[in-house]
Amino acid sequence: MTKKYDAIIIGSGVIGCPIAYELAKIGYQTLNVDKLPDAGEGSTAASCAIVRAHYSTEDGVAMAYEGFKYWLDWENYLDHAQDEKGLAKYMNTGSILLKSQGHDWRKVQSNYDAVGVAYEEWSVDKIKEMVPVYDLHEFWPIKRPEDPDFFNEPEKMLEGGIYCPEGGYMSDPALSAHNIMRAAEAKGSEFIFNAEVTAVRSENNQVLGITLNDGTEIDAPIVVNVAGPHSYKINQMAEGVYEECNIKTKALRHEVMHCPAPEGYDYLNDGYHTSDGDVGCYYRPEVGNMFLIGSEDPDCDPQEWVDPDVFYAGKETYERNNQLTVEQWNAQTYRCARRVPDMAIPNQPRGVCDLYDCSDDWIPIYDNSSMKGFYMAIGSSGNQYKNAPVAGHMMAELIDKCEKGLDHDKEPLQYTLPHLGRKIDVGFFSRNREINYNSSFSVNG
Amino acid sequence: MCVKHVPDTAATIRIGTDDCIDENITFIMNPYDENAVEEAVRLKKQTIDADVIAVTLGKGTAEATLRSAMAMGADRAILVKSKSSHDSISTARALCAAIQRDGDPDIVFTGKESVDNEGFQTMFHLAACLDVPVVSNAVKFAMTDTTIRVTCEMEAGDLEHIEMETPCVIGAGKDLNQPSYPKLPDILKARKKPLTEIELSDLGIATPASRVEMIKIESIKEERYPEIIDGTADEIADTIVHVLREKAKVLDG
Amino acid sequence: MKRVAVLIEMKDGKVKPACLGAISAAHDSDAELFALVFKGTAAASLETLQAHGIDRVIEITSQDGPIQWNADHWARAGIQALQYYNIKTLLGLASVQGKNLLSRIAALLEAPLVMDCTAVNLSEHTAVKSQFSGRAVAEFKTRGEYHLYGMRPNALSAVPSPGKAILEMFQAVLEKSKLRVLEVQQGLSDRVDLTEADIIISGGRGMENSDNFDILFECARPMSAAVGASRVAVDAGWVSHTMQVGQTGKTVSPKVYIACGISGSVQHFAGMKTAGIIMAINLDPDAAIMHKCDYAVCANLFDIIPALTRKLKEITG
Repeated sequence: MTKKYDAIIIGSGVIGCPIAYELAKIGYQTLNVDKLPDAGEGSTAASCAIVRAHYSTEDGVAMAYEGFKYWLDWENYLDHAQDEKGLAKYMNTGSILLKSQGHDWRKVQSNYDAVGVAYEEWSVDKIKEMVPVYDLHEFWPIKRPEDPDFFNEPEKMLEGGIYCPEGGYMSDPALSAHNIMRAAEAKGSEFIFNAEVTAVRSENNQVLGITLNDGTEIDAPIVVNVAGPHSYKINQMAEGVYEECNIKTKALRHEVMHCPAPEGYDYLNDGYHTSDGDVGCYYRPEVGNMFLIGSEDPDCDPQEWVDPDVFYAGKETYERNNQLTVEQWNAQTYRCARRVPDMAIPNQPRGVCDLYDCSDDWIPIYDNSSMKGFYMAIGSSGNQYKNAPVAGHMMAELIDKCEKGLDHDKEPLQYTLPHLGRKIDVGFFSRNREINYNSSFSVNG
Repeated sequence: MCVKHVPDTAATIRIGTDDCIDENITFIMNPYDENAVEEAVRLKKQTIDADVIAVTLGKGTAEATLRSAMAMGADRAILVKSKSSHDSISTARALCAAIQRDGDPDIVFTGKESVDNEGFQTMFHLAACLDVPVVSNAVKFAMTDTTIRVTCEMEAGDLEHIEMETPCVIGAGKDLNQPSYPKLPDILKARKKPLTEIELSDLGIATPASRVEMIKIESIKEERYPEIIDGTADEIADTIVHVLREKAKVLDG
Repeated sequence: MKRVAVLIEMKDGKVKPACLGAISAAHDSDAELFALVFKGTAAASLETLQAHGIDRVIEITSQDGPIQWNADHWARAGIQALQYYNIKTLLGLASVQGKNLLSRIAALLEAPLVMDCTAVNLSEHTAVKSQFSGRAVAEFKTRGEYHLYGMRPNALSAVPSPGKAILEMFQAVLEKSKLRVLEVQQGLSDRVDLTEADIIISGGRGMENSDNFDILFECARPMSAAVGASRVAVDAGWVSHTMQVGQTGKTVSPKVYIACGISGSVQHFAGMKTAGIIMAINLDPDAAIMHKCDYAVCANLFDIIPALTRKLKEITG
């Protein structure tokens, strides 16, 4: 391949696409390579695509709140690019964070105050009025159904919740990545698919380009690792990069369940996205009037770290596609059903199974590396979907500044959120940080 | 009613060296059996004094399917335990023995087929063992006293209206009803409902003279290598018909 | 000499072509081939049957004349014929009627039966059939006095083997059946359940609107297919969610899945990846499904589907 690119982005998911888009907007000729056949077909496709503002850190809240501005104004964000597949739709349901021992909701609340997120405090009665199908007893601590105490009768009631009118989900996460790809293409970006990266080439600690599995070599002075669950494998290909990162990423198998809503309850139209730390679940409406139930990864749940290549190739028993385990199906649906006792639980597990790209502290890494020209936006699964457009803009600025001489490791980039006008210390997302114990170590971020 | 614990229809089937499937996959209640359970439970709601019993032959893990049946409304369950696999004849003998030991049933409901072995015949063998009439693929069911009227779906949407007396065996089709799935309180109740376990060997069943033995099994690989069909619309349509008829063998004409 | 019988099914006064395929399964066994027919149809079928290697056509009646349709009666009368002629091997179709009759005969004789076979070996008493909704294939051996096999319709093609067949009448002695067939209503429902269909034809974004789904329904009818849809078509409100195939819809395992204007997202594949044959009709040669199917048709579905419908109607009448 003779064509020269300014930057190669490995991965065309919901973070890889906006990085290309933002780089293209500031004049970079970019190429995204992805081993799958289309944009957003990897772990992005399995994302619950929840858009909510509550995070355990102030910057986390600010970034997520900034992200809203993009989702709400999707067509403008895409600069009215056309997508033959149609546009992903933002569904605003409002978002309830139940006050429970499972969430540090007071911290979230003070973060809301600091960032200026609009919210209301709802009493138990108010929640019951808005969502009559909820049983608002406290079920804490989180247990698995195998635990003999799981079915104990609850005694206390919860305290209430924090309701954000701005909150919801994107109707089709894969489509949203596809939309951004089309927008990037309109700015001159290029994408190739069914192309697996087998080597990241470098010389004298300067990245030179990549090699694909068919032997094709593509050169560029900038290579960005946005490979999702494969991110650690790409870092391992870049000489010295994997070793130098203090924070590492790995692929975590994760399941999301679908259960029919209680009869007579129009959850799809009347329901709220709810973060329920009391039972360790979050749930939102899904087509077919179903509850989509995710896990907040409570300590009692086993974590299954897998090799993404083995998982996606279907070489092990549990592979991609809706092959859920009975144990986790029971754990997640039963927990959610404590809150929603009239929810139907089918005999056949149905839902989504895919991989998270998880960092050691569940906070993503948005950073450069010791190899000149090699950048990474990784460890982002589980809680970064909503931040994707922000991350794209921030990464583009980071790359541009570093290429123009910024020593980000010494003087971390102070990135200004365009809508909120607030500054974020990008060093917070450094690969060299110590594990951040303020993190929730879960999807909550 | 009789239910079966089968691999999830979404699961990938892998065959081990011993011709057994890798059972480290998700198992569920056979989907047609859900219709059978639902119909039995509905009947119980209309009839006083009905006792709905879920029966299965299987390994200890099949308890999960019996619990599902009880969560859907069955009163109790019988698990005939056996580690080995059985053909339709010996399965029917085992179910028949377990059912008769419990008492004489008025109606035995079961799914019209199982989605794993797809033998389509266990209910017929069971009816023969019990010496009662049997129908399969029932899509409508009504009962007055001891008379049962049932509609069965035949080929090409033809419907057959049949009348028979209890006791009888009925194979439930998908259109018989819409199973209502259990709620958590139902699942909790089902954990406490009585489940009787019987070792198959304790039923004293004679070995049948006839049997169907599996001698080889292979899983089908999932890789697909597309073959391009081109030409004019008519040529393409001809090729598609050819594939349907000759390769897939799904056209009757 | 060994004797093998084939249970004949009729449609519109003619032998079902699939039965001729089932007969050819017995050609190699150099057995004497019997055809069992019911309800005064022997004369009409004689010519076809003898052209395909049948030696003796047995028309089964009862003491009261032709036996009206009653699966229990037909099965019992069939057994009497098998016993009278000392036939130990019976072939039939794994059609709805075949499943009904063969299973009843097997049960009453407590005989081994392998249903939905794609191949049989009558001297070895072995049969090959699919398992786990087409996800595995297994070989079975039947042991016992009788050997029964239900052939998957059209698994074997008809092989002409001209000869002369003798037409005989067999009168069964029937008691009152415990089954009373009140009425048979014809062709009332032509709706095929998605999860049960042998063939599914599904539409996606390429269908463009709700009305266009009519061409899929029209195409589905002559091949008794069910109509499915991708999430896009459901989200767009073109069809109901009950038709959706995929992660948030139904999981299906038909023998053939025809995807029309569906790009083949991961979510969609999760619902249909276990299909026997996947056929994709798409204008975009790079659509994901075009690389993950068995047959790829790169063409406009609005040209192909109507043409296919015409061909299917010609065949099925």
